[in-house]
Parts: sequence; C-alpha cells; structure tokens
Amino acid sequence: MLRSMAFLLCGSIALTAVAQDAKPTTVLGGIDNPCGVAVQAATGHIFIAAHSGVWRLDPKSGKAHAEIAGFPTDIYGKGPKYNIGPLGLAFWDDEHLIVGDGSRPDGDELVRIYKVGKDAPHADHPPIKEDAAVATLGPIKASEETAKGEGNFYGVASNGKSIFITCNGDDTKGWIAKSTAANGKPGALKLSVATKVATEVDAPVPVIFSLDGKDLVVGQMGEVSTPPGDSLLSIYDPETGKLKKNYKTGLNDIAGLAYSPKTKKLYATDYSWSDPKAGGLFRLDIDGDSIKAVKIASLDKPTACAFDKNGVLYVAVFGTVAEGSDKPAGALVKFDSGL
Amino acid sequence: MKFSPRFSFAVLFGLSLVASVAFSADPPLGLPSVPVPSNNPMTAEKISLGKQLYFDGRLSADNKVSCASCHDPAKGFSNGDQFATGVEGKKGGRNSPTVINTAYGALQFWDGRAKTLEDQALGPIQNPIEMNMTLDAVIKKLNGIEGYKTQFKKVFGTDGVTSDVIAKAIAAYERTVISGNAPYDKFKAGDTKALSEAAQRGQKLFFGKAHCSACHAGPNFSDNSFHNIGVGMGKKDFDKGRADISKLAGDTGAFKTPTLREIAKSGPYFHDGSVKTLEEVVDHYAKGGIPNEWLDEEIFNIKIAPTEKADLVKFMTEGLSSLDYPDHKAPELPK
Repeated sequence: MLRSMAFLLCGSIALTAVAQDAKPTTVLGGIDNPCGVAVQAATGHIFIAAHSGVWRLDPKSGKAHAEIAGFPTDIYGKGPKYNIGPLGLAFWDDEHLIVGDGSRPDGDELVRIYKVGKDAPHADHPPIKEDAAVATLGPIKASEETAKGEGNFYGVASNGKSIFITCNGDDTKGWIAKSTAANGKPGALKLSVATKVATEVDAPVPVIFSLDGKDLVVGQMGEVSTPPGDSLLSIYDPETGKLKKNYKTGLNDIAGLAYSPKTKKLYATDYSWSDPKAGGLFRLDIDGDSIKAVKIASLDKPTACAFDKNGVLYVAVFGTVAEGSDKPAGALVKFDSGL
Repeated sequence: MKFSPRFSFAVLFGLSLVASVAFSADPPLGLPSVPVPSNNPMTAEKISLGKQLYFDGRLSADNKVSCASCHDPAKGFSNGDQFATGVEGKKGGRNSPTVINTAYGALQFWDGRAKTLEDQALGPIQNPIEMNMTLDAVIKKLNGIEGYKTQFKKVFGTDGVTSDVIAKAIAAYERTVISGNAPYDKFKAGDTKALSEAAQRGQKLFFGKAHCSACHAGPNFSDNSFHNIGVGMGKKDFDKGRADISKLAGDTGAFKTPTLREIAKSGPYFHDGSVKTLEEVVDHYAKGGIPNEWLDEEIFNIKIAPTEKADLVKFMTEGLSSLDYPDHKAPELPK
C-alpha cells in the first residue's frame, strides 16, 4: 500500500563543517557596537562604523581617529539592547565613503556620502560632522510599498555606477534600495529588490558585488531569535533585480560577506543572535546548487567584514560587555592573508 | 474518505485491528516536502500506530484524555475552547495550538520548548494538568495492550514499548496532518478564479499595508519565530512566553507565530485564546496591540477600513481553507 515516499530528510540541503585553524588578532578595541567595515584602497586605511561614529584606522601605525561624528542614537533589540549609530560602509570612489544610517527611526534614516580624503589618522583631527555630507540619499518615507518607511541600512555595495543598500524597515518586503548615478552623481534612493518576496526569509543585511561585478550577493539574515540555520545566501542580477540563485547556508544570522582578492573564496560572518557560541567566521564553498559553510574561527558576535588588497580580512565584532562594566567590548580583528 | 492526487490517506482495518495507511507524500500544492528526521523515517505502519496513540485516551491518567481531545481534527486540530482541558477537567493556561502543518515548525509549543515533534509528543502525556501520566506508567499500560505490543514490535523491532518509540510513532502521524492546496495556492499557481474578488483584495492587504506577512510568511504562513504581539500584556502576572525558555529579556511575552492555514477552523485565537473571531484579531493588530516594552517592532497602529477588514478576513477564511482538509477520524483502537 505504500506507494511513494518523498519526504525530505533533514539536513540534506546545507552542510556545515569545522576547520578552525585561523587565529584573529585584535587591531582596535573598545569600540561600541561596530557594524560596518570598509577598506580605502588607495591608503589601506580601515573605516569602522560604530555607535559613536565612523572611525579611521591606519593598520600600519595602529593609529585611529574619529572620522565622522555626531550621529544620533537608536536602540536595536528588546533585550539585549544595543545602541547603534551608522551601520553599513562602502567606498563610492577613492575619497568618498558611503554611510548607511541606523541612528534614527525607520522612515527618517539616511544614506550619506562623505569626502574623507586620504590623510593618515592623527589625534587632533577634527571629525566631519554627521550632517556635513557631500550627498544625502533618502529618507524613504512610509508608502504603499513600505508600511513604516525604511531604515537600518546595514549593508552597502557600490561599483561607482550604482549603490545598493539593504534596508530593514518593512519586514513584509525586505527591500534593497538602489541609487543609480548620473553625471557622476548618485541618483535618488529607490526601492529596488523585494528580497523577502523573492526568498520568503526576512532581513537582507550584507550586500557585496561578485568578483566579476556581474552579480549582487546578499546575505539574508533571517529571524534573529529562531529558527536556527535560516540564513540564506542569495544572488541577484543587479540590473533587473531578479533572483538568480538562493542557497540555504545553515548559518543562523549572516551579518557580513567578503570575497578574498587572493584566493577568490567567499567568507561570511555569523552573528548567531540566539546562540553566540555558534557564531564566527565561515567560508562558504559553493558547488553548483549546493553550499557548504566551513567554520574558520569562533568570534563573539561578528558583524561586517572586508578584505584589503593583500588578502587580510578585517572583521568587526560586538563582543560581550563584562558584568558590571560600562566599557565597550567591540573590536576590529584581523585574519592575516591566506584566507 | 477523500483522496487527493497529491496527498492521500487510506486507512484500512485488517484482521489484527492494525490500521495500515497508504499515502502519497508528494507535498500538496503550495507546500514543500515535509521534513523528516533521519532517525525516524516514515512508514505506513508507524503512521498508523501513531494515529492510534494520538486518539487513545488510555495514554492519560483517567483514560479519557487523548492528544485528540485538545487537538481535535473536527476543530482545526485545536479544541474550540480558550484553554486546553486535561484530566478531571483541569484547565491549562494557554490555547491549544493546532497540529496542522506543525511538521514544518522549527520548534514546538507556543514557547518553542521542544525542538522536534518527537520531543513534543511526550510533554502533554506527563503534564499534570493535561494527561497526568508518568512515562513509566504509560509504558506499563501500553505494554499491557497486546495490540500495541504487537505493532510496536513490528514497527520498531522492540520487545516492549518504550518512551522513545511512543514519541516517534506519534510524531510520524503528526507529520501527516498537512493542509495545502488551498484556493490561495491555486490562485498563486495561476488559477485566476480560485479566489473571490474580496479575497484577492484581502490578499493584497495581507502582503502589503496590513503588514501580516511580516511574521505570517512563507509557505506555511509562519516565520517559525517568536513575537510579542501585545496580547495579555495588561495583566500583572502576564505569561512570559519564549523568555522562560530562551532566558532573553527580548523574548518576554513572545510566542511562536502560528500557521494561518485552516485558521477559520481553529479559533479562538492567540496564545491565550482570548479572541473568538478573526475580525477581532484584525482589530487587535490594527490598534497595535497592548503597549509594552517588549512589543515587536512589527506591531504598530495600522489604519484599516471596515471593508478592508472584511476583505482580510475573507482572504484568511476562504483563501487558506483547503478542500483537502485533513479531516481524520479516530481509528479503531487495539485491545
């Protein structure tokens, strides 16, 4: 009487493995809730977005200064709660940094572009004021397309022609917004890709271009509380917004993505909100329609990551504030070239 | 007996009173394949055994309360009351969640305290205000029923009944309580006449302005997550929900997003069964729930006109009710 048996056996889609041999080194500590990392190609300076603002670090000298300051504060989460400010970072060109906002209510948040120049960090550097941007995109107010308006711009990707911003305002759509340049200037910020409609999973967070620049690679974080292992890696056509591939990674909360310029391998950070011990840095090995997440190192609530041109990977981590302490536990760590 | 080309059941009663189940496990339209753990593969005999256990009151202390008492197929696999009722009429503090499509759930119970259906299955048996049995007592009782002993031996190869195999059999049956192929699925697949115009308007609202799909997402209309939707939060001793399990303050008053498939049959609604109709459910969300510091950010005041409210309810009742509803009947039980 048993005619067919086509139930899906659990665990057959995404594989995870552990190859923990990479050791991170802390290059900057005491950062409050860092969420964005970008590398300035011309100087090798690292830019870090944290609650207190955007910081510039020269990894050679170890010196850092506040590059952009004066952001308001918003609170993320219901417990634990985190103060957040600017979020996603990416360079528009050699000297202009795109900053995604998380410091205001949804519907009021902005994407701003600042001229940061190439000066090395020094102690008496006056930070750029938060509202002294050379260009401001948004806000994206509430409309038929987004019930609350958009905000929490965690991920920024730019190829100098278009800017893509992941949004976490309307959870029915999971928008990626897009700005298309005209005459060398960024255009208006418009809702472009409804990732939740395409994937049925919440929260696009990191966004990068593929190595050949032809694809938009998005980490879909999923629900932060549960279920575990719901994060996706999704590939879109940046011109049409059409979903080309969708991988169930088995990771909990993908927060950062970066391709190694040396090995061409793809890496992801897993914040793993409800089970921080499971979080860390993972290599994502893609073979056709299958994906395998290989754990490279455990990290305490990692967020954004970015490679420099030499293949050194920089990762922002929230860390855990010691009981009774009011000192920020966040840090920027690095993995030396080889990944 | 209904037969669906995609998912069908046929229960036949043999000489030994062992019901055998035939089914095609191709998922119904709109749903993915049912996830099955590798240590509990589906077999017809196991599903049949699990079904008998599900409907058998002898798993309770007073021999009257079965899984089906609180998860009745005739009542949307809930019980139609505000709270679950256990042995000696004892009342629980939460509404009976539907079993429909719980096979797709990442975690079980309103607070997600069970990771699998197998883990879930033994909980109510041991709960003092539900079935009030110890595992030793239920094992002893089932070992005394020859019809069960024979089936357990055949299905699992065990000489006696164990808690592990009880859980596996019940879970296997629950993985067959599936509802898909609803008018919504047909409409989505291209049948433009599958939904009435009102239901189509409601669908647009559901996935847009009304913000329902922020949580009721995916094929099963659940994000499998936990949210504080501002229900019951006005009480001094409100139910902490998921926070009691996760120990995260942010989960205070948060409960699992239930499926909306067959929602017309499984009222009353919310984790505390405090709302009798879907119209009242929509009213609750439109007002933005009871304010509290853990209220989910997806819950906020939404302006919904009375006609829009009617359309939303129409979408849920018409669009998500399947003609292939798993209208299971109690099997003959072994002696």
